[in-house]
Amino acid sequence: MRPLDLFWLVVLLLPPVLALTVLPPFGQRMVTLVGVYALMGLGYQFVFGQLGALNLAQGALFGVGAYVAALTSPVLGFLALPAAVLAAAVPAAMVAGPVLRLQSHYFALATLALASLVNLVAVNAESLTGGANGISGFASSLPRGTTLLMMVWACLIAGVLLAAHLFRGSLGEGARLLREAPLVAATLGLDGGRWRLVAFVAGGAMAGLAGAFSAAVSGVVSPDVTGFSIMVLCLTSVVIGGARHPMGAVVGAMLAVCLPEMLRDFQGAWLLAYAAATLAVVLWAPAGLAGAIDRLRRLPAPAARPAEMPARLPAVGGPRRLVLDRVVKRFGGVDALAGVSFALERGEIVGLIGPNGSGKTTLLNVVAGLDRADGGTIALDSVNLERLPPHLIARQGLGRTFQTPMPEGESRASDLARAVSTDAAFLLLDEPAAGATDREREQLAMTLRRLRDAGRGIVIVDHDIDLLTRVCDRLICLDGGRVIASGRPAEVRADPAVRTSFLGLPAAAA
Amino acid sequence: MAYALIALGFVLALNAAGAVNFAHGDLVVLGGAVAVVAGVSLGLPGLALLPVVAVTLGAAGFVAARVAILPLAGRPPEATFVATIALAAIVEHGLTVGLGAAPLAAPSLVGSGSLEVGGLALGRQPLAILLVGGALVTAVWFLLERTQTGRRMRAVSSDRYMARAIGIPAARYIALSLALAGALAGIAGLLLGHQFLVAPTQGAGHMLKAYIAVALGGWGSVPGALLAALGIGFFETFVSAGLGDAWASAALYVGVLAFLAVRPQGLFGEPAGRRA
Amino acid sequence: MTATPLDVGDFTVRAGEIVALLGGNRAGKTRWLETILGFRPAQKPVVLFGQDVSHLPVERRVTMGVGYVPAGRRVFAGLTVRETLEASCWLPAPARRRLVDEMLALFPMLGARPQARAWLLSGGQQQMLALARALMNRPRLLLLDEPALGLAPGVVDGLLGHLRELAGNGMAVLLAEQRAGLALRVADRAVVLSRGRILRTAPAAELAGDPTLADLMAEG
Repeated sequence: MRPLDLFWLVVLLLPPVLALTVLPPFGQRMVTLVGVYALMGLGYQFVFGQLGALNLAQGALFGVGAYVAALTSPVLGFLALPAAVLAAAVPAAMVAGPVLRLQSHYFALATLALASLVNLVAVNAESLTGGANGISGFASSLPRGTTLLMMVWACLIAGVLLAAHLFRGSLGEGARLLREAPLVAATLGLDGGRWRLVAFVAGGAMAGLAGAFSAAVSGVVSPDVTGFSIMVLCLTSVVIGGARHPMGAVVGAMLAVCLPEMLRDFQGAWLLAYAAATLAVVLWAPAGLAGAIDRLRRLPAPAARPAEMPARLPAVGGPRRLVLDRVVKRFGGVDALAGVSFALERGEIVGLIGPNGSGKTTLLNVVAGLDRADGGTIALDSVNLERLPPHLIARQGLGRTFQTPMPEGESRASDLARAVSTDAAFLLLDEPAAGATDREREQLAMTLRRLRDAGRGIVIVDHDIDLLTRVCDRLICLDGGRVIASGRPAEVRADPAVRTSFLGLPAAAA
Repeated sequence: MAYALIALGFVLALNAAGAVNFAHGDLVVLGGAVAVVAGVSLGLPGLALLPVVAVTLGAAGFVAARVAILPLAGRPPEATFVATIALAAIVEHGLTVGLGAAPLAAPSLVGSGSLEVGGLALGRQPLAILLVGGALVTAVWFLLERTQTGRRMRAVSSDRYMARAIGIPAARYIALSLALAGALAGIAGLLLGHQFLVAPTQGAGHMLKAYIAVALGGWGSVPGALLAALGIGFFETFVSAGLGDAWASAALYVGVLAFLAVRPQGLFGEPAGRRA
Repeated sequence: MTATPLDVGDFTVRAGEIVALLGGNRAGKTRWLETILGFRPAQKPVVLFGQDVSHLPVERRVTMGVGYVPAGRRVFAGLTVRETLEASCWLPAPARRRLVDEMLALFPMLGARPQARAWLLSGGQQQMLALARALMNRPRLLLLDEPALGLAPGVVDGLLGHLRELAGNGMAVLLAEQRAGLALRVADRAVVLSRGRILRTAPAAELAGDPTLADLMAEG
């Protein structure tokens, strides 16, 4: 996410300033509404934009906020607003636990079921919600007019600035990794479940606040505020504005409020136009209108900043020894790893070789916790790793790089740099030299030696045997999930079993 | 039985597109609306509406594939979700603009009244729904399992890349699957439209029930989705007979949430097709 | 049928000939095969059976007479053996059924289980199904991507035997393989790849006796 520049700051501050100085009451009301929808959209951006999960409960949480504000304001007065925030955040936190573990299509379903449940209560629990007639007559206990406008926009401006600030740095980078490369994120020690929980609850709380404000604006709360159409409005306005642009929610909300006024003569046509615009944005401008405006202003697209290898590599501490003992991994009936044992000290580089399908990548996955071992033990000093989730293994001091898939615009070098930046004592590198030029290979070899000298232990899988021979202290050759040779590089390369299995050459021809 | 048709179309579209089609419920509504318009303005009898609705909605499914699904093939499934949600909103608001928001009644299939069968009085409309639904499910089964076209549709669903590598024009088959899904949705809309009326806002509810059926029946499994849809239909009928509609729906949603909490991977886990 | 089945500028595959495409992981073997098929854009024109197909989509190239056995087999999980073979055939129904029966007879491993769903087959059976599937539109050019991977030695011998027989009947075969020794047992010529580039093209017999081959390939 880019920081807000002067242009966007003006766009953000202009509506409330205009509303307070020149606009008639009707215009003020519209500006207030823009703020309300933008607030809900901003919260929605956390889960949908930053983490890429299709949450369909945001509209319902908005409705919960509206109802709670309407019900409690006669008693609590202005305090109904924090009550509404709590009322939306608490159920979000309660369902978040099980719901956030789900894969994308089940996540969408679960949030949709939750939303339908809220809607059902709003319609049917007549003694509480007034049923289809809704609730009215509470507006006098809530802020109104310019007070309301200022409160809404103060919250919105603070929220936008805070989000833009937060997602600029490592938080934005972490969110990007979780969205585009969840495995990489896990091996860097990011706990995806926790991130989603915080985003879901924070976003829900903002929806609750927006809902409470909307109750104050309209003075009436009916089951419509919990309906699917509010959800669709929220989703479409965020998509149109720009799901990951700091101003996306604001731009989308401006359109959502202004369009119906412009198309007032055609009943309902604005919603049609809005939906069509959403489809067009998804197809042709995935960065949304705010992103498109940035392009027109000839700002460069916000590029992912590839991690760079630090100039100095400080010595690392942490565990001293990684030990694998008879590790087994089965896929279906096939033993991908059939009892692999070896040990690695810090300050040592071990190369892992073997033909396609011999189990090299599986071995790295099992050690990093991305696949679960079916047998054997893996330990860093005295800590057993084989039952830990990947992000906890990473925090024990174990980093890993990947062959594929890499988030867009990334190189293997930055993947390695990122793994190094965690100060992991042990690094598992999967084909770091693949696709590299001779010069890059030389640099890689140098980097690896520096990492070793800084006291790290490295396991490297690669097909460039010359490179491995130069940098590794030991080579281990796998075939059919077993270690068939292990020792100094020259010995392993000369081993007849290695030549046969690795190249399919008869031993005699070597 | 109408739920079964909705769920059947939903799962066909899901398998072909590789992503949920959120506009599916609105295709059901659109089918009902076409039936209303054709039945009232053209005065066509109920049975003649079947082919009209099927062809119109088949074309709608084809258009959905062309504008919201095929162009997004290389993007994450969320992009398709959003595109189809937008498409759903287009259909919903288009209908509201065109026909108004008030519910309309679709013509009945074979007139009202009931038949005496073996001493039991059966409504003609429910009976017709049962027969049409049963015939369509059988026809789709035959298409998928016994014809070259069906085999190729399944091959495309299973592995789009490999299907192209044996010469199958995958994009055309995906559009075909979506057209079939649209036709089934439309007919379901026609069948439901007489008893439950047709209103533009019903789409989300139809889609949600199909979605639930597919999740319960095993993601991507055609027979599983059919069974689950029938189960949901019976469940709703019985619970709402005892406790009322609201409780029936509430029980269904709570049940789904509880189910997903206990079995995050669905009833039977992911089918083998997704491993490839 | 006099035109050369495959000409990509850097090398050709002639009718009745098995050419091995040798290289380690990531040497670019799959990339070459996918370029020939049209999954990737080509740098130089791809000429199939004398026709420049650079502008044709994958499915059009395939129906000209190209069979493809991809890496990892990629069988259609939910289809049965018989359904897979039928779906891959572009002949009218009676001829199609005859050809399926022929294929089931040719591969006894498949003939024993025609109604089995593909994902329930063993690795070797899946590989045979992938090969049989590629043969169902009577290709004149066959592309194989590491077909021997993960197969027991006996099954590999059977597979190589099939390839030799097919070439004997006039088919052009391009066999991408990491294990050079294995591929050189059946190939007439070989192309050695490293990092996407062609290092060397030579008769198989010459390469098989070449002690530098191992180092050549290890560069990848």
